[in-house]
Amino acid sequence: MNRAAGATRATPWLFLAPALLLLGTFTLVPMLRAAAWSFTGADLLDVEGARWIGAANYSDLLTDPRFRRAFFNTALFALMVVPAQAALAFFLALWVNRPEPHWRWLRTAFFVPVVVSMPVLAVLWTMLYQPLRGDQMGLVNALVAGLGLPAQDWLQNPRLALPAIAFMSVWQGVGFQMMIFLAGLQNLSKDQLEAAQIDGAHAGQRLRHVIVPAMRPSIVFVLTATLILSFRLFVQPYLMTRGGPADATVSLIQYVYETTFLGRELGRACAGAMLFLLLVAGLTLLQRLCAREERS
Amino acid sequence: MKRARGWLVAGATAALFLLPLLWMLHASFRPEAEVFAGGFRGLFSLRGLSLDNYASAWRRAALGVGLFNSFLQVAGILGLGLLFNSLAAFALARFEFAGRRLLFGLVLVLLILPVEVLAVPLLLTVRDLGLTGGYARTLAALVLPFAVKAFNVYFLRQHFLALPRDLEEAAVVDGAGPFRIYWSVALPAIRPALATVLVLDVLAHWSDFIWPLIVCTRAETRTVQLALANLFTQPPIQWGDILACAVLVTLPVLLVFRLAQRHVVASDLGAGIKS
Repeated sequence: MNRAAGATRATPWLFLAPALLLLGTFTLVPMLRAAAWSFTGADLLDVEGARWIGAANYSDLLTDPRFRRAFFNTALFALMVVPAQAALAFFLALWVNRPEPHWRWLRTAFFVPVVVSMPVLAVLWTMLYQPLRGDQMGLVNALVAGLGLPAQDWLQNPRLALPAIAFMSVWQGVGFQMMIFLAGLQNLSKDQLEAAQIDGAHAGQRLRHVIVPAMRPSIVFVLTATLILSFRLFVQPYLMTRGGPADATVSLIQYVYETTFLGRELGRACAGAMLFLLLVAGLTLLQRLCAREERS
Repeated sequence: MKRARGWLVAGATAALFLLPLLWMLHASFRPEAEVFAGGFRGLFSLRGLSLDNYASAWRRAALGVGLFNSFLQVAGILGLGLLFNSLAAFALARFEFAGRRLLFGLVLVLLILPVEVLAVPLLLTVRDLGLTGGYARTLAALVLPFAVKAFNVYFLRQHFLALPRDLEEAAVVDGAGPFRIYWSVALPAIRPALATVLVLDVLAHWSDFIWPLIVCTRAETRTVQLALANLFTQPPIQWGDILACAVLVTLPVLLVFRLAQRHVVASDLGAGIKS
């Protein structure tokens, strides 16, 4: 096609021009400016007057207890969500990977929360987690009471708030990871697929020696994608708890957001964003390394 | 017997999984005082169900405006994005030119860039370009930065690469130029991939929150998610209104998903894994 009729040296660049223009203006330039600002004391309302202050923003961040708290919360959230979501998605995929139509319905049911927007779900789960007041209570407490356990104020208890948010996040996203595992299962050979129907004897052994090794690319992908996604935590705590109680759910993104718009400390916020980017880049590199090791 | 049990387990699991959303739908019709009443038994109460919450939510959250704004935002991103991303993807898949490997490397790097990192510096770029304040400017600020997406370029490129060359070569023999081949041969041939990208983009941008929160400073520019968040945070808190609003915000995406479900192939979702 490259030597096709009518294609000149300029043709590829004409095809690429709109994308390059928008990517340059709205992605590359802002990123480079943010990198530069991260070494200045820039104020949100007075960017021009920014003075070079070296790495002071970075050292300030690393010693700021609230930033450390935000990092700790986000990492803890990832630690709760990633294994639970991946494992649940894997078993759901094995379970619903059958041709009859009613399994398709079940697949759809698991996928529906993925379709519903996260702000809607954050608002909804705030209501589901409502504490007990008289005969008024959220559905979660109703179920807990039905099991004979004491009702809780899930989102206002510093020890329960982050796990409560993690729980709803697993529920929300598990359908998507399940679809990716299903796609992986569809690439397996027929023999492997038959082994994937985990009913009958030695199911555990077949799972360990046949299915899991064959599914490793999907597993690595899901684990790292979920890890990166969970580090982007923002909407759920922002709407459900505002980062509280006592900073128990404040996330990295919320820290950057508040540093910018409440503290107006643009330089410091950009330094936070850069650290975040480094973290995500590191995680992605880790995935690539895992995938490469896999191939060799 | 075993089959019936399978159905039962599947049905019960689905119901339990969807319980939160079923509760949302049911409670959105309940009177304000009874939204949380009766615990688990409340789920089965049919007393006093009405559309009052919907009327109130529609008015208080200015949902007509919000739905319209979100619709324009998503349509803009989809329209521009479909054209620009597929053009770039086609160039990367089908032309040999100096710098191609470098550009593709850039696409791979940008794949991982989270929107949230960019939000703060992006605001200043958008401000410098004068895209703040007015209605049209805010709409441009909502659309332009997110029309081109590295994932979509990457994904569509893979699908262009997988196309058999015969089709295009036949068109070349007929005297078609590169744009004609892109537009009338290659693009129609990857329709399933385009559908996948469209659906994923609708889901992603209908739920956009942090960026609209930053740029939609005026009430008339608010998207649906901001309208909902506003009801949820500004007193007086009316739970019934919030629920009705949540249902109304959800219906359009459910509809899109239902219509597009057939066209989105599950294996496409995993296409990024192997490379």
